[in-house]
Amino acid sequence: MNTNTSTPPVNRKGSDEKSLKKFLQKDLTPYLVFAIPLAFMAIFLVYPMVVTMLRAFMPSGNKLLLGSFSLQGFTKFFESAMYQKALLNSFIVSLAVTFFCVLIGVPMGYFVARVKMPCKNLMLSLGILPIIMPSFVGAFTWVILLGRQGVVRHFLNFVLSPLGIEVPTIYGMFGMILCMTLTYYPFVFQLSYGAFASANSLLEEAGMLMGAGRWHIFRTITFPLILPSLGAGALLVFVRAIGNFGIPAIIGGDKYVLPTLIYFRVNGFWDLNGAASIAVVNVLITAFVLYLQKRVINRHEYETISATHSEIKLHEGKPIRIIAAVYCIIILVVSLLPQITIIVMSFFEKWVGLFPEGFTFRNYLRIPNYSSKELFNTFYLSVLATALAAVLGSLIAYITERKKPKGAALLDLSIMAPFILPGTVVSVALLSAFSGNSLIKLTGTYTIIVISYMVRRTPYVYRSVAASLSQLNPSLEEASTIAGANWFYTFRRVSVPLIMPAIISGSILTLTTLLQELSTTILLYSSRTRTVPIQIYGAVADGKLGEASALSVILLVVVFGIVYLMNRKQGKSIASSFKMG
Amino acid sequence: MFIPAWVVTQAGIVKNLQEYLLIMSLNLTYKHVNKIFGEQSKNPVHALKDVSFAIEPGELFCLLGPSGCGKTTLLRSTAGLESITDGQILYGDKDMTLIPPFRRNIGMVFQSFALYPHMNIFENVAYGLRVRKTADDIVRKKVTEVMELVGLTEELKRNPSPTGLSGGQQQRVAIARALVYDPDILLLDEPLANLDAKLRRYMRAEIRRIQKATNITTIFVTHDQEEAMAIGDRLAVLRKGVVEQIGSSNELYTRPNNAFVSNFIGKMNFFNARLTGQGKATIEGTRTTITIRSENIRFSSSKTVANGEPVLIGARPEQLEICREQFDGGIRGTVQIIQHLGQFVRYEVVLDASISDASMEIDMPYMVEGVFERDSVYVKVKEGLPFLFLPEVRN
Repeated sequence: MNTNTSTPPVNRKGSDEKSLKKFLQKDLTPYLVFAIPLAFMAIFLVYPMVVTMLRAFMPSGNKLLLGSFSLQGFTKFFESAMYQKALLNSFIVSLAVTFFCVLIGVPMGYFVARVKMPCKNLMLSLGILPIIMPSFVGAFTWVILLGRQGVVRHFLNFVLSPLGIEVPTIYGMFGMILCMTLTYYPFVFQLSYGAFASANSLLEEAGMLMGAGRWHIFRTITFPLILPSLGAGALLVFVRAIGNFGIPAIIGGDKYVLPTLIYFRVNGFWDLNGAASIAVVNVLITAFVLYLQKRVINRHEYETISATHSEIKLHEGKPIRIIAAVYCIIILVVSLLPQITIIVMSFFEKWVGLFPEGFTFRNYLRIPNYSSKELFNTFYLSVLATALAAVLGSLIAYITERKKPKGAALLDLSIMAPFILPGTVVSVALLSAFSGNSLIKLTGTYTIIVISYMVRRTPYVYRSVAASLSQLNPSLEEASTIAGANWFYTFRRVSVPLIMPAIISGSILTLTTLLQELSTTILLYSSRTRTVPIQIYGAVADGKLGEASALSVILLVVVFGIVYLMNRKQGKSIASSFKMG
Repeated sequence: MFIPAWVVTQAGIVKNLQEYLLIMSLNLTYKHVNKIFGEQSKNPVHALKDVSFAIEPGELFCLLGPSGCGKTTLLRSTAGLESITDGQILYGDKDMTLIPPFRRNIGMVFQSFALYPHMNIFENVAYGLRVRKTADDIVRKKVTEVMELVGLTEELKRNPSPTGLSGGQQQRVAIARALVYDPDILLLDEPLANLDAKLRRYMRAEIRRIQKATNITTIFVTHDQEEAMAIGDRLAVLRKGVVEQIGSSNELYTRPNNAFVSNFIGKMNFFNARLTGQGKATIEGTRTTITIRSENIRFSSSKTVANGEPVLIGARPEQLEICREQFDGGIRGTVQIIQHLGQFVRYEVVLDASISDASMEIDMPYMVEGVFERDSVYVKVKEGLPFLFLPEVRN
């Protein structure tokens, strides 16, 4: 039978009727299941963003006036000295922080990955602590250490006074940069460590055999290959730094940055439209940097070609081992000083001068009376939001990875958007959409906080699950369909069990960051919905550092416990879970 | 022959097992099947072009072709994993075109085996029965029987996770999983591609044994012609979405429809030639004229080729000979590589540029005295044996 003839035109008659029949024959459950997360995204992410965009072009105030158009919110960046300074400060702080993080993190990553030294795993675990700990806690402990009466400042001034040098106080630009650098350097450290450790040493050996020297090899082979990881780490630092609210709020003093300026517009004047304008500027900067990073990195992204992989040879020379060990220990000690300080501080009444004074348990004993509601709220809101984000993130990851709908790229973009949006911007968007004279009013409720948490943290679960699904051969699911299972049975018995580890690791990351969430909550809380970070922030503002420390220690212990358990169970680096795109 | 016990019990009144198996097996019919990927997009891909043929009940049928020929698309369309753009696919006389895959009652073995790492091998095999809400005791009975059929009784006792099994054992679990719920059709998508060469030969014999024992109508997709010829009752050769030829291994080897099939099923050397008379063609650039038997002229009489028009002479490696000395009708060339392969010696010869730029593969039953690599030799086409094809249309 030879059918090697020219193709007859495909019959199109009755194709409408056929496609309807085909549709009805299909399993419709997935469409129903998928409608819910998509509706959620549309109402609580896309709609608020659109309203924020609209509000940015309205005269200042909190009224949603669709008819009026004004550039007032933006012209302030040219008129008001305060706006200009905030914009400039944001730029300086985030660029400086990114620069210093790379400066500190890359050598540390190289040393831990490539130099023979003891306790590498301990260094990696300790090196992750600064990012899992609430950043504003770091800020107020630096007040204890380097504030006007700070212990370290006292000591340094005493030592350095003969030379005529005075250490600046922590308040202002210096403090913000120092504090953020020590908080965010682990991103660069961990990601560059991963790249240095997993690079294929055959490539470097090949370079050596062709006669290249050590430095030449580093410059032409090693460094270009780790550049994508480095870029990802640096971007992560920049995005975090420009969106950070807690640190500038506590130690910024009179130096405003964009997130604190937003807070000021909302809290001081209830000027949502003005805040929206600042938010738009803030997002534009972040988006521009993201775009730059993508352009630079895409040109340097390489596929690994070789099949064989050999172990990396470690430097064993004594001088480099000593330098590496000393360097890593200094960085670790300095970046962990805040953690040590709050533990000490939580057992004392005050700490001005060289030593803490008045040993006491009162800071802890006060918690049940003064902060039990906050503790309950923190756990209730975080756990609820995490559970919902896990469901939402997994479903959307499943849709984009498996169903490959037409707008998959758009869906991916919109769900990842909150990843780069500063927390204050998300709050402004939600306030813009659901307060004042809008249709649905949610201000002051638990709901708006849960929603803001979900919107901000769903990307963690989404990314984790999407990565896991893309690794998962679709034939596993097809085999189930072939065996006679409908979509839901397959989803329940095959897909979900196989992506469970990814769901769990994404959820844990979500939970630990939500427990310490400040920048979103600060604009959304009411007296009913106060959380522990809000309480800590308030205590610091009132100068009750002992109480703030005790609450921080509780958060720290819980977060550390969760992360420790996860690391033991899964044994994977947390830093790489923060990575985007 | 292995007789699955449940077949006998279900059969009841049917006395003769062979007769029963024949009743159970379905034929499979494709009617004008077309598949276009990205129909709305700028460059749609016409993956299947008007495919029409039928597979007999109980047949082990091979779909063979180079990658991208549409064989996997045809298999996935048969399963319902791809919807076809136009045409019909029938199991028996039932139109399955619009039925979703999970209602088709088919078994499929994937190239990657697709075993579930989160289930032990018993649960992997039992999966289709669990979906069908089969009672526990029947599940146990059927899984035991099918594991016996594929030869994994020992492994079932230990019941490990499939990740701990060897490639061949994983393959058997995958086959057992596809067979356990008595599918109407069994589909195998390059099932041997992930196994090493030795195991591949063994498993293809095993697959044929299991298929014959169950007598389920089976489609086997592969790009390896040796595998297809070894295993299939019949083969279909596909190219660019078109079925080029269907037949048994012997038919395809001895009576290929065109140059493509002839060079895909076994090796074929081609000479550009011009028709010079009934069954006679002269090789371009030479005065060598070859006579070809009428049954080896592989184009239909309707496509008459006038004298002087271009044709292709095809000769299998064993239909060529090389000599050291010039003789009448010898075609000059240079030996590039000599490989001694045991039963025969393979010579790779490049003909003079004026004749052809392709290299010829020539198998001699012995080493030719005094011929070494880079020597000039003369190639002889054995009289009568070669094929005559229409030149390939380059598209």
